[in-house]
Amino acid sequence: MTIHVVFRLLLTLACAVGSWTVACAEPYLAVQQGYKCAACHVNATGGGLRTEFGIVFAENVLPARTLPEGVPVWTGRVGDFLRLGGDLRTNWTRTELTGAKPQQTFQIDQVRAYAAMDIVPERFSVYVDEQIAPGNATAMEAWARLTDASSGTYLKAGRLYLPFGWRLQDQTAFVRETSGISMATPDTGLELGFEREHWSAQLAVSHGTANAGQESGHQVTSQVVWVQSRYRLGGAVSLTQSDAGNRRAGALFAGVRTGPVAWLGEIDLVRDGGVPEGSRSMIAMLGEANYRIRKGHNLKLTAEYLDPDRRVAEDQQTRWSALYEYTPMPFLQLRAGLRRYRGIPQSVLENRRVAFIELHGFW
Amino acid sequence: MKYILRWREWGQAVAISLLCGCAGNGAGLDQSGRPVTGGGGTNGPLTADYASIQSHVFTPICTACHAGGGAPQGLRLDATNAYASLVGVPSNEVPGVLRVKPGNPGNSYIIQKIEGHAAVGARMPFGGPYLDQATIDTIRQWITDGAQRGAGAAAAPLAVTSISPMSEDFLPDGRARLIAGFSEELDQTRLDSGSVRLERLDPGTGLPVDPVAVEIAVPAGNPRALMVITAKALGDGRYRLVVPAAPETGLSGVSGRRLEGAGPEPTPVLLDEFDLVVQK
Repeated sequence: MTIHVVFRLLLTLACAVGSWTVACAEPYLAVQQGYKCAACHVNATGGGLRTEFGIVFAENVLPARTLPEGVPVWTGRVGDFLRLGGDLRTNWTRTELTGAKPQQTFQIDQVRAYAAMDIVPERFSVYVDEQIAPGNATAMEAWARLTDASSGTYLKAGRLYLPFGWRLQDQTAFVRETSGISMATPDTGLELGFEREHWSAQLAVSHGTANAGQESGHQVTSQVVWVQSRYRLGGAVSLTQSDAGNRRAGALFAGVRTGPVAWLGEIDLVRDGGVPEGSRSMIAMLGEANYRIRKGHNLKLTAEYLDPDRRVAEDQQTRWSALYEYTPMPFLQLRAGLRRYRGIPQSVLENRRVAFIELHGFW
Repeated sequence: MKYILRWREWGQAVAISLLCGCAGNGAGLDQSGRPVTGGGGTNGPLTADYASIQSHVFTPICTACHAGGGAPQGLRLDATNAYASLVGVPSNEVPGVLRVKPGNPGNSYIIQKIEGHAAVGARMPFGGPYLDQATIDTIRQWITDGAQRGAGAAAAPLAVTSISPMSEDFLPDGRARLIAGFSEELDQTRLDSGSVRLERLDPGTGLPVDPVAVEIAVPAGNPRALMVITAKALGDGRYRLVVPAAPETGLSGVSGRRLEGAGPEPTPVLLDEFDLVVQK
């Protein structure tokens, strides 16, 4: 029996079980497949290093064409205790601003290297998510995790992404910018997690990104997700105590699969007490549809809404995106898309148009 | 439950989502989306002064993330907090580099971040579009000009607010520890052993005869003070502490202001003059 056959059996078994755990830096995949984040990612709340199942999924389910039988393939496992992985995103972006020369850039959006060491398998592990580019190497996540498989709980401590809403690949989505919690803003603290067949819950206590460089302040973030094979519902809250002013954020998010389309939605409400006028309430919303045209081809349409200050009338912004994601072979994806920002007419920036092509390598 | 946002707000949010909001028409707002109030505003071209940069760059672009209780890296760039968060403040990502180092845009972290060559992390504004070169050059010019808060306002020079020992004081110990307090945090990146000079004076002529080897340090937790410690025990005599004339060794504040009395002429600035009688 080849290793390929073993992996495919693993995959089939996982699909049959259905409500195991999967993938969230592209959470539509989790909704499409009916998994939780932890099925495909070492991180229970998604993003970063992929599990063995995540690699099998990336090799066999995502791409338009799988590799021929017998071709050696990356599994992520190095020895019995170490897993390695990474992501590379490089893109060309063209931004059009009214009254200004279009801006075009080629850039490396990110190169990440991941490593997880199972020091005591299924009990104690250490994980690092290192951003290698742009800039010098910097740890985005670095934590140690104690796991109690019998109760489905874990405790991790270190630098980590906070659990709040959909862990989107697009860190500039209104819901991620407004909440201030994304994969671009890791924080240092503790996370207590609870994973059951249909439930996933986390409670994190951290320093607070706004408190960086300060010796006071904290942030408490919690999330609960109810996962069914065809849909899921989640809620999250985050309370930040800061010398800059306290901040309260709440999110409701949901995902549902209807035939070939995976739908994602999120509403975030944020009240910030650290702004010059005293306090400000903001609303951000995301609606996303992912149409799996056929294996390896995904059309993603998103509609976003932002009210940056609810007391101010006529300042709302919208953002519309259309993206095509083509995964021709395992571990390689091409993405091309258009984004249209609409905002108040006197702001050039809020009315920009963006086109981009991205190459994404992942392993 | 008072910490959880109200149900009414959720209801409104859902209602808005059902209407699938359109962008606002901007009536009564400035280009940053803030209500227009009498005076000020963001009209006019970008110029190399803080107020203009705040209204054209920091407020409309940076505060999308860098504001309030969720500001990344604790960097708040709203109109109330931006100056204090930037000028003379070490960056969190590279603490050895000031976010804005007056007079030195190349060594200011904000420039490194918006030009995309900072040692850590992504180019700003995060996700783009990036600032055009003309805008970056204007911010550079503001920093080169001393990163002053007021538009063209003449800033008060750095002043000595306290000194110990004071003139005519007697020191109880031969190994002297001199402390000077200043009106502003010192720019520690410009400090070195040549930033101040301790000299023993000839009792007859009052002229300096021997330089005294010293170490200097900024006390932990008090960046407005400078500590001067003699390398060896001193003997009885009269001493003076001066800031040498060479401007490159300058003792200056984080805003780039030079010491009061330091002008274009190469004249040392006297900080202190005191008598030392060593207790036997």
